[in-house]
Amino acid sequence: MDYKQQVGVQSHVEMGSVEDRSMDDLDDECLHSPGTDARKTQASDSNRQIPFSDKKLPLSDGFPIVGNKMTRNRIYRSIKTVVFSNKLNLLMPFGPLAILVHKLTASNGWVFFLSLLGITPLAERLGYATEQLAFFTGPTVGGLLNATFGNATELIISIYALKSGMIRVVQLSLLGSILSNMLLVLGCAFFCGGLVYHRKEQVFNKATAVVNSGLLLMAVMGLLFPAVLHYTHTERRVGKSELSLSRYSSCIMLVAYAAYLFFQLRSQNDHYSPINEEGSPHGDNSDNDEDEAPEISKWESMIWLTILTAWISILSDYLVDTIQGASEAWDLSIAFISVILLPIIGNAAEHASAIMFSMKDKLDISLGVAIGSSTQISMFGIPFCVVIGWIMGQEMDLNFQLFETATLFITVIVVAFFLQEGTSNYFKGLMLILCYLIVAASFFVHEDPTSTDQKKQPQT
Amino acid sequence: MKMDKVDYKGQIGVQSHVEMGPLDRAMDDLDDDCLYSSEMDAQKTQPILSNQRFLFSVLPVGGYKMTRNGVYKSIKTVVFSNKLNLLMPFGPLAIMVHKMSYSNGWVFFLSLLGITPLAERLGYATEQLAFYTGPTVGGLLNATFGNATELIISIYALKSGMTRVVQLSLLGSILSNMLLVLGCAFFCGGLVHYGKEQVFSKATAVVNSGLLLMAVMGLLFPAVLHYTHTERQVGKSELALSRFSSCIMLLAYAAYLVFQLKSQDDNYVPVVEEGSHNGEDEDDDEAPEISKWESIIWLAIMTAWISILSDYLVDTIEGASVAWNVPIAFISVILLPIIGNAAEHASAIMFAMKDKLDISLGVAIGSSTQISMFGIPFCVVIGWMMGREMDLNFQLFETATLFITVIVVAFFLQEGTSNYFKGLMLILCYLIVSASFFVHEDPSATGQSKLPKT
Repeated sequence: MDYKQQVGVQSHVEMGSVEDRSMDDLDDECLHSPGTDARKTQASDSNRQIPFSDKKLPLSDGFPIVGNKMTRNRIYRSIKTVVFSNKLNLLMPFGPLAILVHKLTASNGWVFFLSLLGITPLAERLGYATEQLAFFTGPTVGGLLNATFGNATELIISIYALKSGMIRVVQLSLLGSILSNMLLVLGCAFFCGGLVYHRKEQVFNKATAVVNSGLLLMAVMGLLFPAVLHYTHTERRVGKSELSLSRYSSCIMLVAYAAYLFFQLRSQNDHYSPINEEGSPHGDNSDNDEDEAPEISKWESMIWLTILTAWISILSDYLVDTIQGASEAWDLSIAFISVILLPIIGNAAEHASAIMFSMKDKLDISLGVAIGSSTQISMFGIPFCVVIGWIMGQEMDLNFQLFETATLFITVIVVAFFLQEGTSNYFKGLMLILCYLIVAASFFVHEDPTSTDQKKQPQT
Repeated sequence: MKMDKVDYKGQIGVQSHVEMGPLDRAMDDLDDDCLYSSEMDAQKTQPILSNQRFLFSVLPVGGYKMTRNGVYKSIKTVVFSNKLNLLMPFGPLAIMVHKMSYSNGWVFFLSLLGITPLAERLGYATEQLAFYTGPTVGGLLNATFGNATELIISIYALKSGMTRVVQLSLLGSILSNMLLVLGCAFFCGGLVHYGKEQVFSKATAVVNSGLLLMAVMGLLFPAVLHYTHTERQVGKSELALSRFSSCIMLLAYAAYLVFQLKSQDDNYVPVVEEGSHNGEDEDDDEAPEISKWESIIWLAIMTAWISILSDYLVDTIEGASVAWNVPIAFISVILLPIIGNAAEHASAIMFAMKDKLDISLGVAIGSSTQISMFGIPFCVVIGWMMGREMDLNFQLFETATLFITVIVVAFFLQEGTSNYFKGLMLILCYLIVSASFFVHEDPSATGQSKLPKT
């Protein structure tokens, strides 16, 4: 509340009682901005906007210099909405701090940790900006935007790692994202929701869950064949076979993902309502659909999108540079850092939003956040990185090595099994969380032979 | 056969049986049904017993005779009321043979036969005790002692340092329960109720399948870690991971018990393992057959006897393997569980034929869940305390077997219906599994010799 007032938005102070209550609501709920939050913000915003627009008129009419001041106010307002309206953004200073520490000291561990903390709020804001842009582009392109940029952070980190030739880190971090989304985020959502709704079993849309499980199994199949081919030493040409198989499979997986998007968007027009990833702007649970309006304008969202992407890229660069040093400094394997630490912290915002939605008995949205994210990374993120690597000339393939592939396989089977019933309770959530602890423990004692040899190659 | 049955009962001198003419039919029914004591059997025994107690109370001599009669009655109820107990003499016989000859094969076989009725009686005593302790603690008792026999055998094997035998016997218990017992139950029930498909509670089956999958996950990681040679410190990593995973699995099992017992109070009716105490219509007529102290004493006696026989069992398993020319893996995984589990097996079939498939499922799948989520981690923790290096790395062949079995069974169970064909498929799957173990030479088991007891 304090920092909001410091920014000097006087209209807040003017709107006494209504404002305080909705502001508190805003504070409590606004850890991640989904559709309903946008709706709630909207109510206060629309209240705000009317007097504001009234104020605009005297401003523009009264003052001689029109354009400049309006633009400056708009910029202030934009910054306020995007940067200062979220508790998570307290972590934002860690980004520049990381760069500072990197310049001043050689402490890789600290730089890694600080840049990780710095990326977290940026990732959340990126999702927010994507959502805002989706308002303007209509449901189709909006869905596509969500589907592509939903995990933009992971993709950016991966592309930077690819550029540095750290293929193993790419594989491990993407794998870790999938595992943490499927087990930890989903488990926490089920657990917290189950505790709150103690008496009844929460239900979710079985159809969506089943489709996503099917896609995840297909992704596992795509990852399994190169690994098994390599491991049984039965490839026709050592090294080249897995690479070409991986690239071919990646194209197939991208086609499958495109078909999935097409199927989702087409069914949307029919009776079937899909679940978009970061809350449904056009969903079935908000009655006040028509009252939703974006908080920032179209150009603003695109500009913010660009700014945030740029910031994330800069921090990703530091992140990837220092991962090896951090591994040595903390005496943890690179595998553990990439698979467990990186996704947990980077995904914190989605994590919190999934829990929040399940506690509000909107399990479908939680499922969309968790499982939808996993599907997106496995069917879009991983093949996309393979193709990018192909373009860059990096030999990124789908052979994730046997241990990681087996981990993914058993995890997908366990989760698909849990999801097929269509209900959830706290026990299922607890089991998923405990499974994640077992996975994390396995990676803690897992020494990845290939990642220790990988050094940073000169950037191409 | 029938004459023999009446004879030994008559020999013990329970005259009231002879006096109760037409009730002999009820006795015959008892004999037919009483291979495993369910609440219905308790009901049938009840009217006879109350009459007997009345008869006994008429006798003039007070305390001493009453105690002796009480002991006689107790022995009769516990020891002689079950057809399976014909196998009981094999226990002492095994000890005799061991003292007199060196034939390890015979000692092994006889002690195995001797354990079978004791295992059944142990389950019976646990059930009786559960009557006195209320549903919560009763459920806990069933959940812990339900597979006490396997646990006792495993702890003795651990003490002797034969960790591989422990792993294999527990694995075999899970496999036999999931495939053979369940398959026979489905098959026989399906044959009897030929026209319709039998249904069971899908919710329970799904929860148990989920727990079994989680157990497979816990077993998979140490095995894959070891097999891909990607552990940070060879040998130590898997052990540490196994111990951590075991604690997690025990935690999950405890949460499962809490969840089951709490849902019991709500609308959700779970299936307690050895028959449902909170189950069907005749709940209020149920009463225990032996008193609370008697059940505790019998529990202790049975446990002691089982421990003694387990000792001989574990001692002679290697000799038996050599004598019969079958691998230890086959004996531990296939033979030991089948014979040791005979009572549960028969009871599951019986319940399926009575169209009480939920109880059969509780016996079969509940037992598997209990061994995989409680028995195995418990043995790892016990080994940790004893200083034995028991871990969750069951070697690749066994882990793969468990994995594919759990997936097949989870798939079969998810529909919530059963018929004789499903049962037949499960039995045939078990035949494939046993054939695989028949030709499987376990490299680590042959190298393990008995360590001095600590």
